[in-house]
Amino acid sequence: MKAYDILGYSFSAIKLRKLRAALTTLGVIIGIAAVVALLSITQGLQVSITNDLNRGLSATTLIVVPGSNALGGVGGGTGSGVGGGLGARSGSGAGLGLGSGSASSGFALYVNYTREIDALSPEINSSTAVIERSGYMNADGLNSPVTIYGVDFSQYAQQYPTTFVAASGNVPLNPSSNDIVVGTRVSDPRENGTELFNAGDNVRIVWTNATTLPVVNETYIAQVSGILKTVGGFGLAGPSDTGVYMPLNQAESFFGTNQCDMIIVQLKNSNNSTITDVSKAITDYFGGQVTVISSTAVLSLLSTIFGTIQLFLGGIAAISLLVAGIGIMNIMIVSLIERTREIGILKALGMKSRTVLSIFLGESAIIGLIGAFAGILSGWILANIVARLLGSGAFGGTGFKVTPLLTPEVFLGSLAFGVGISVIFALYPAWRASKLKPVEALRYE
Amino acid sequence: MTTLVEAIDLKKTYMLGKVPVEAVRGVNIKVEAGDFVSILGPSGSGKSTMLNLIGALDKPTSGTLLIDGVDISKLNDNQLTDLRRRIGFVFQFFNLIPRLTARDNVELALSIADVGKAERSPRAVELLEKVGLKDRINHKPAELSGGQQQRVAIARALANKPKFLLLDEPTGNIDSKTAAEIVGLLRKLNVESHVSIIMVTHDQHLAREANRTLEMFDGQISSEVVNQQ
Repeated sequence: MKAYDILGYSFSAIKLRKLRAALTTLGVIIGIAAVVALLSITQGLQVSITNDLNRGLSATTLIVVPGSNALGGVGGGTGSGVGGGLGARSGSGAGLGLGSGSASSGFALYVNYTREIDALSPEINSSTAVIERSGYMNADGLNSPVTIYGVDFSQYAQQYPTTFVAASGNVPLNPSSNDIVVGTRVSDPRENGTELFNAGDNVRIVWTNATTLPVVNETYIAQVSGILKTVGGFGLAGPSDTGVYMPLNQAESFFGTNQCDMIIVQLKNSNNSTITDVSKAITDYFGGQVTVISSTAVLSLLSTIFGTIQLFLGGIAAISLLVAGIGIMNIMIVSLIERTREIGILKALGMKSRTVLSIFLGESAIIGLIGAFAGILSGWILANIVARLLGSGAFGGTGFKVTPLLTPEVFLGSLAFGVGISVIFALYPAWRASKLKPVEALRYE
Repeated sequence: MTTLVEAIDLKKTYMLGKVPVEAVRGVNIKVEAGDFVSILGPSGSGKSTMLNLIGALDKPTSGTLLIDGVDISKLNDNQLTDLRRRIGFVFQFFNLIPRLTARDNVELALSIADVGKAERSPRAVELLEKVGLKDRINHKPAELSGGQQQRVAIARALANKPKFLLLDEPTGNIDSKTAAEIVGLLRKLNVESHVSIIMVTHDQHLAREANRTLEMFDGQISSEVVNQQ
């Protein structure tokens, strides 16, 4: 019997029991939809985090943070206080942070270490120190928590030429001590165009100094020189929409420190050998007390993390497919018993055992194929609904934008998996059908 | 003349639970091409077992059974299946596929024998016309009377130009008037189209419609009668 005749016959058998076939297919749909939804959301998340990182952490940028194991901690980024690294910034709602490592040795980075770092390698273009503190900004009578960064405006602008750019006002390259630059969500925390202040306005900066007792609220009036363009994303590195930027020397005197939380090193090129050599030179120079974070290292760590997450989530979703598979097996056995006589007739008419096998496998393959396509479609719709809910902040926080991603690998993989599971679980019933003895099958009532 | 079926000391024993049943005990028969033979016997005489053997649905325990010159005891399942394509089965309960129309039932037999799609439909229609079902071609079995269903079954049996038709109580499930029509059709096929026919039945009157009647009793052929038509 020819393949299309076999498929046609299988299809006519499915059509006979539409509701039963639909319910069996539903099992496959749910399984595949779960796999596709979870994978496309996590892959979308990975892409947006990766893009975000690439924005903040260009390939020619290295970030030096104190502590020997800063890169490796996921989830609990210690964004505030000492040794912040690329930690989660307050208000950004990010779930992933690259926290500070073991800084317990008492080692600290100092602002003037940039000169020493600059001298370490001819491949280094420049380096700049960043001081990071949690504080408050008082504007228009409203006190809002912000993350304050002390940076060298001209160097920072040079290192982040696309993101440390003013949307209104300007980023002064020679700032006076009370100039500040802020992220868009500082001036417009509700993101609805209602700005608390404009460029040129005065605001009050508040920092709770807990280094002395009793605790003192340090404060000064700053003038907003510029409001940055929207950066978007999670703010893992580089300028953040929720950051307040003051000149580095102002930060040193305001926070009463000459320690810094990270030093950003700009390389002359992004060759792997340059990144490795300079990273090693810096780590060696500080006796292993610092961690040098490069975009390549972060991205590879990130892809490992996401690989694990996807395997885990995909695995859980795949279990529901196994359940669907058992459903298929169950229904196929019922169908085989119901159609014993029919199989006898077919065999009496000269149908070969392997054709009987193919008919049953064909039925489950059709169910698997339809289920997989419908599952991919509904998984994709589900992923988009979830992404929209995430974006609207329905799950708490201010929300973040994720665009679900359906890669060809996931598409083809789910298709193959759906059909594969269906066929594998139909193997036993199909084999039993093919082995029926025509004499006995014809006698079956 | 070609010999279609030849049984030499044919025996078949099967197990009914733990009890061995000698259903066929040394049968010798010979059916030539163009013949119309009936095997007559009461239930338990072994005629159904003979039908299964002649139909290559089952293999003998001992003895020789040549079907179209092939010794079926030497064939594996696959080869038996191939052999069955040369035999046209007609069953007591019609055994049509309920979800398929008359034409599709006939076409199914053709597609099983790998007949191309283009050839199938005209051949199915031609056969259904031959058995007198010209205006019932697109009806499903449930929409046909018993006699009509049996005609579809005969058309299906003829689809692959079999060496002979093998009928199992072909009128057992239809009224006597329709039965007479079916018998008429069989006679016509035998005389006009030279279709060889082997028919198994317990019905004396039906059996006498054949050219020859082999009476079976207790697993053996007890007598052979040549009928005057």
